[in-house]
Amino acid sequence: MKHACQEVSRLASDSLDRPLSLLEKLRFHIHLSVCGNCRNYTENMHLIHKATEMMQQTNYGHIRLSREQQQRLHDILHRETGV
Amino acid sequence: MKADITVTDNNNPHNWLNDHGDYLYRYAMSRLHDEELASDLLQETLLAGWKGHAGFSGSSSVRTWLVGIMKHKIIDHIRKEIRERNLVESVESDPTSAYFDADGSWHEAPQAWHENPEALCASGQFHTVLDRCIEKLPEKQQLVFRMRDVSGEESEAVCNTCDISATHLHVLLHRARMALRYCLQHHWFNQEEKS
Repeated sequence: MKHACQEVSRLASDSLDRPLSLLEKLRFHIHLSVCGNCRNYTENMHLIHKATEMMQQTNYGHIRLSREQQQRLHDILHRETGV
Repeated sequence: MKADITVTDNNNPHNWLNDHGDYLYRYAMSRLHDEELASDLLQETLLAGWKGHAGFSGSSSVRTWLVGIMKHKIIDHIRKEIRERNLVESVESDPTSAYFDADGSWHEAPQAWHENPEALCASGQFHTVLDRCIEKLPEKQQLVFRMRDVSGEESEAVCNTCDISATHLHVLLHRARMALRYCLQHHWFNQEEKS
């Protein structure tokens, strides 16, 4: 199959965002069964996907407003709403 | 999302800031990666909430309601950004072709990554390298990748915000993920082998 790996790499990505058609699924899995490179690619891709999700938590989970930001916002709210 | 425990005065924006400020700030930061902008949008959200609190039905928690307001503010900002900076990416020239030979086989074979996935996914060092690789992506790819994969938005929501078709979204994500994998291969996995 010509251009197989290039096409399969696209399916590997698409499968994270949409359900593949039956035909696409067949092509994808048949190709993976004979192509170690694309198996590696697909596994790498899943790992990146998962790591990216978890990165959100580590990079942003601890973020808080600083005291200065809090104070500034309280002042602005007071000025704008009169409360 | 947890319901509000506090029974403080629901119409007081100062209470909203105290009870939900950090949460909303984090929400904006995780999507915009800009402290000043996140703080500005929080301010706008609280003020919009104040002006519109008569419209708050009380059927959802105050936090959910405020997040809803903030979401719209973020979408408006991203749309403006796309419009003003004219962030377009050509569909015709496919940058992923560079990773393949003329016959469509891999130019450089993807390697199996032998590190423990759980440990790797939780590693702060790996996240740093990952984040640096994301920063190198072309702007529009980076924008949709951050929304979809980093923030975990639904595909449909990303398409709506960026005003692009599902197919175009898939193309951009495919390009982003392929470039990322290559970047990680060279800036993380190959480095590990050497050391």
